[in-house]
Amino acid sequence: MRLGKFVERFIGLIPVLFGVSVIVFLMITLTPGDPVEIMLGDARSSPEQEAALRRDMGLDRPIHERFFLFIANALRGEFGLSFFHRRPVIDVIGERLPATIELTLVALVVALAIAIPLGVIAAVKRNSWLDRVATVGSLFGVSMPGFWFGILLILLFSVKLGWFPVSGRIGFSAEVRSVTGLLLIDTLIAGRLDSFWQALRHISLPALTLALPMAAVLMRVTRSSMIEVLRADYVLFAEAKGLAKARVIGLHALKNALIPTVTVAALETGSLLGGNMIVETVFGWPGLGRLVVEAIFSRNYPLVQAAVLLYAVTYVLLNFLADLIYTWLNPKVRL
Amino acid sequence: MTDASRTPLLEVRGLTTIFPTRAGPARVVDDVSFHVDEGECLGVVGESGSGKSITFLSVLGLVRPPGKVSAERMMFAGQDLLALGERARRAIRGRDIAITMQDALTALNPALTVATQITEVMLAHDRAGSMDEARAAAVEMMRLVGIPAAAKRLDDYPHQFSGGMRQRIMIATALACRPRLLIADEPTTALDVTIQAQVLELIAELRRELRMSVVLITHDLGVVVEQADRIMVMYAGQVVEEGAAREVIEDAAHPYTAGLLASMPSLDTLDRPIHPIRGQAPMPGPMPPLCRFLDRCERTTEACRKSVPLQPIGGGRASRCVWAEEVAHG
Repeated sequence: MRLGKFVERFIGLIPVLFGVSVIVFLMITLTPGDPVEIMLGDARSSPEQEAALRRDMGLDRPIHERFFLFIANALRGEFGLSFFHRRPVIDVIGERLPATIELTLVALVVALAIAIPLGVIAAVKRNSWLDRVATVGSLFGVSMPGFWFGILLILLFSVKLGWFPVSGRIGFSAEVRSVTGLLLIDTLIAGRLDSFWQALRHISLPALTLALPMAAVLMRVTRSSMIEVLRADYVLFAEAKGLAKARVIGLHALKNALIPTVTVAALETGSLLGGNMIVETVFGWPGLGRLVVEAIFSRNYPLVQAAVLLYAVTYVLLNFLADLIYTWLNPKVRL
Repeated sequence: MTDASRTPLLEVRGLTTIFPTRAGPARVVDDVSFHVDEGECLGVVGESGSGKSITFLSVLGLVRPPGKVSAERMMFAGQDLLALGERARRAIRGRDIAITMQDALTALNPALTVATQITEVMLAHDRAGSMDEARAAAVEMMRLVGIPAAAKRLDDYPHQFSGGMRQRIMIATALACRPRLLIADEPTTALDVTIQAQVLELIAELRRELRMSVVLITHDLGVVVEQADRIMVMYAGQVVEEGAAREVIEDAAHPYTAGLLASMPSLDTLDRPIHPIRGQAPMPGPMPPLCRFLDRCERTTEACRKSVPLQPIGGGRASRCVWAEEVAHG
């Protein structure tokens, strides 16, 4: 793709992000509940103290002023202090983000690794017992609640069999210097295979919990798209050329069938990058999900605003990435 | 042009392909026998749905389930196709017997470059030792079918070519291994009239140059007239007439063939009214034991209300009509 198109897409981001900022700002400020009251809690405080806190957090200013301040600061990459942590929002999010990114990436890889082969096989051997098992299995995968499945996994693999740790990202003894923030990579950079192994074991169950429902959806999408493509003339023509079956299915058909899979995978990845509060809670995973949910409950405006803006950027970027993959899969698609 | 002493390149006897339908099993190809000689062009004519494409997909072993193919005999270049396993059948496809499909736009893979699609045939059949060799051969093949600036266009995708050029690329793909038999399935139907003639000429030229046999499948008798040595006319899954091209066209021995000829517009006889065949071809499904052309025929008599076999009428010709003689000379 040409550079011009690239820049064009990025400029197109600006109005989207501005719109999102307005909506987020309005929604959170207009929601009932007062952060000052929540922070002071039941503690007895004088009206002077309350006013001081309010002034301190900038909540005494009129709403439009607060909005422009928010935008002006956001443009400079400043999102203010988290009301609760009394530290820059960026830092608080930055601590949690790598854990969520790592979990998302692993879950995505696992989901694709399960979904694509299964979807292809189910489509090729349509109505065979294998197809039926995969289809019923995917129904199960889609409909089972994450917290329940997570707990089941813990009970079986951690408690009963003792194969995986119950919670957390890594043991204290295995900590390594943070470079990327992704433990699976940092441990390898540090050359600590034992730590890598530990990190891998920690991430396995939560990643699997997130991956299975995603794999179920992706498998169904891949299957139906594959079934469609297998009927195409070019698949018959490829067979008529005497190509090996693996090439006909794995290249000629699959490359055309993957577009819907990529679309859905991008959307699912976007929602995973928001952090999944339930899975994070069950596995004690220090990700974004719990942080943001807590921030919403405590009316921690700066943190919520920054997080939602981050989600919006993530979604737009992921869609952009998906578009790039489309053009590779099918050169007829123009951006 | 049939020479009885020569063994044909392809000989098929009693080919039957059955698809289940809601009404019961449909014999989409019903006891079809034919042969293609070395270097010969056989024209296969019939309306869409007459079973002509499926006949040749059956020969290639490309009928998908639930379709079922059976035959008494299927010999290609001394090999018994019926006795070969899937791997051996596959080795013949694309290498010895190639097919081009009606619409290159749908037959070429939109997601792969032309280079990939031409070279993979040669690589799959060990006709090229390396990718470089295969690419060089692909360029040569593209030149042969008349694509300008072939080397430069090798890495383009199918949609970047015009309709006529795409058709040529599909032909180049099919001929990449220089097959002995080319099955050209409706090679001109998807093309503009001006390009149709070019493509037909190209096929004729390549046939001479590569010394291959061609099966020309078409619904357009006009296409066959110029190219074919022999003609086989199919109707509702059966062969209804066959014989030397000129003879069949000059005096058809089956009312269906005669009807096709009468419904063909011609520049020489613009004042002659066109007579379309009335009615429609039967839907695929179980057929009663009657002449299948019965309700569209203008000669129907009581004698037609039975299953009519394909019978030789002399001169290497055959017709599936009880009134064959009368039709031919009436």
